Amino acid sequence: MNARYGMVIDLDRCTGCGACMMACAAENNVPPIPQASTRTGVTPMLVRQVSNGMEGGARREVFIPILCMHCEHETPCVHVCPQQAVEVDQATGIVMQMPQRCLGCRYCMTACPYHARYFNWWDPAWPAGMEKSLNPGVAVRMRGVVEKCNMCHGRLHSAKEKAAAAGKREIDFADYVPACVEACPTAAIRFGNLADENDPAARETHSPDAFRLLARIGTEPKVYYKSKEAWVKELAESKSGRGPEVKHG
Amino acid sequence: MKVTRRDLLGWSAGAAAGLLFTPVPWKLLDDTSIWTQNWRWIPQPTRGPVEVKQSFCTLCPNGCGVRVRMAAGWPVGVAGVASDPISRGALCPLGFAAQQLNWHPQRVHTVRHRGNSTSWEEARVAFAKACGEGKIAIVDGQPGRAASVAMKTFVEKRDGSYRVALAPEAQALAPYGAWSGLGAIGLGYDLENAQTVVSFGAPLLDGWGAPGRFTRLWAERAAGMADPQLRLIQVEAPLSGTAVSRTAARAWQWVPIRAGSEGALAAGLARVLLDEHLVRARGPMPTMTAGEAADQTGLSGGAILDLARTMVARPPVVAIANDGNPAIAALNVVLGAVGTRGGIVRRSKLAESYASADAVIGASYGTARAVLIDSTVPWDFVPQTDAEVFRFAAWDGGAGQADWLLPAPGFLEELTDVPTAPASAIETYAVAPSLVNAPAEVQSAAQFLGSIDPAAIAVEKIIHQRCDDLFRGRAGTVYGKEATAVAKIASAKEFEEQLWKGAVWVGVPPRSGDLRCELKEWPASGSSGRSGNASNANWSSAWLAPVLPPLASKLCQESNLREAPVGRKA
Repeated sequence: MNARYGMVIDLDRCTGCGACMMACAAENNVPPIPQASTRTGVTPMLVRQVSNGMEGGARREVFIPILCMHCEHETPCVHVCPQQAVEVDQATGIVMQMPQRCLGCRYCMTACPYHARYFNWWDPAWPAGMEKSLNPGVAVRMRGVVEKCNMCHGRLHSAKEKAAAAGKREIDFADYVPACVEACPTAAIRFGNLADENDPAARETHSPDAFRLLARIGTEPKVYYKSKEAWVKELAESKSGRGPEVKHG
Repeated sequence: MKVTRRDLLGWSAGAAAGLLFTPVPWKLLDDTSIWTQNWRWIPQPTRGPVEVKQSFCTLCPNGCGVRVRMAAGWPVGVAGVASDPISRGALCPLGFAAQQLNWHPQRVHTVRHRGNSTSWEEARVAFAKACGEGKIAIVDGQPGRAASVAMKTFVEKRDGSYRVALAPEAQALAPYGAWSGLGAIGLGYDLENAQTVVSFGAPLLDGWGAPGRFTRLWAERAAGMADPQLRLIQVEAPLSGTAVSRTAARAWQWVPIRAGSEGALAAGLARVLLDEHLVRARGPMPTMTAGEAADQTGLSGGAILDLARTMVARPPVVAIANDGNPAIAALNVVLGAVGTRGGIVRRSKLAESYASADAVIGASYGTARAVLIDSTVPWDFVPQTDAEVFRFAAWDGGAGQADWLLPAPGFLEELTDVPTAPASAIETYAVAPSLVNAPAEVQSAAQFLGSIDPAAIAVEKIIHQRCDDLFRGRAGTVYGKEATAVAKIASAKEFEEQLWKGAVWVGVPPRSGDLRCELKEWPASGSSGRSGNASNANWSSAWLAPVLPPLASKLCQESNLREAPVGRKA
């Protein structure tokens, strides 16, 4: 049976620590950006801070991890790519980005309503010797192509290899956990097969507190969010990605 | 047919134009692009056998368990260990890129004397000479380790002074240590049994203690609940403008006060609690009235009364300071939170013998001839002394803070043990084996002292002795792949082997009544300056290294999530 891998992110549990961002970057060999640069780097997982706009003790803030939503329907980035460098993997539901095919035209970045795609402006570079700390299961990021979350495809490959070595056709789901999910100290990010109704993550998508960003545009993301706060749900319908108020301490 | 030059030119032009309508030029362009993206000097991951090993992160005193993926002998990925009873599988964001630190450009590779490269032999001669000429002091950042014992033994044999630079969480416990006569080490917060936690600016959800401790408790017992089992009340001034800290943003209740007025609020709360008989009188009556506290904090008298009632509505309640402010400690005395379940507790006596209870807090070294600073001491600790300073450091934070800069082992390069984390209520012990071969040019402080005094005991032997002592105590539980009572472990060798494989020994829970603080009058409010200065920069106050992994640029430069901690850059 084909899987539909997805996530449910409980915003009431997120403290905005950034562990998911760091684990994602380390797992996928994402380089740091040059120190002098003011451009945006590659941040497949990006935590944003938004508030209810109130002041004093009535002020509420939440942290929203933004990543590729792995849209199920009318996937905007797939439709605009002239190179067929983006496709929805029918076996997993993961929206795959193939950097070898990408020309770097950035149509997909423009089309993505969630601003979850990033252009890689630089050749990857680390201080001398630090390449020894790179993950051998993932290639280094290529310059001049668009990058995004692929739900740690390297980990999925490892799980498949392990299953094949054991003579199994299906992976053991315990072997496939994306880095951000593993890193979250409050277990705010839950990963699962949304096609399996018995999966805890799939059950959580039916919670009355669950919602999706910009649900009204009908892209049917496989990344769900949860919050009991009404103002957060309202915000999710009105803004996304670079839109919400971002504050600095 | 005669082919003219005009025909040739026409065909060539037509072929060139026609070629544009074929995939060839575009494919060539794409291939060229890919070719230029894969120059031989583009870094490539190391290939080799991949294995997973377990150890502990020692980049701060909390000692979280780490599962390290190694490729060809190099660490390439760090994750938490779910079975670790302290960190419970969680790490701080910096921990996930800690494997980069050993190649950081600011790594110290050579012995330096006042900026000039020199040799270990020169440093050894200079320190031995200082030991012969006068008194010495050694400053330790993580007391209670085997290396601490080695350093303490060395300095005490020479009539010197062993000093401790306490972690911020332990500094907040200093008043209880002074009032009880036990010293700040050996005390902790029994947060696991508290139902109301009032934080006076302590970043409880943002780098306070082990990341897996309070944040996990909060996630399980408070997050998203209208009436949580664990009520977190954050008393704190706004960061700037209307912005709030992470802890205030996620707290059950945020009480915004004026910066620096935490002590006044604590006194006002104590006054209201006693005046309104909300607590049984256990402490002195503050001289400050609720009205005066309201003036200083910017809260109304009614708001202070409401806060006092909320605090005691669901006991046990404990107040946590961000510094050693004695007023907040006195508030805990009034609340009856000292020496009781869910409050400030004293760890079990069995394991307390490993902590340095005689450590002196402070940095006035008087007439010391030389001061040796261990690599576990945060870089921003600068001793106020004229003595010759020998500083061990794996990374150079700049500013020339020492006469001698001595290269120390980096991340996972040194065998060490992991004593109880600061502010923990239960005694723990673990062994952190080195997973990476340290470069030939580095030495730990304990190794350095051992080369001066051949009679000094090696760290490995002290760890062996400690494991033996713990086994003979027959108390506590070992958390490895499964939890096993020490009493059920067959031999000391088996016990030690389990610890070397990443298991954690956990002592018996503290008993109520083991800690008493007698307080006759309300203390003068004091602050080390940490209170009221909450900021997004306090998220890694316990981070020892003066540098961050380069990937921290994701948090500090490529997003608006955080500001770089003061003085530390990626």
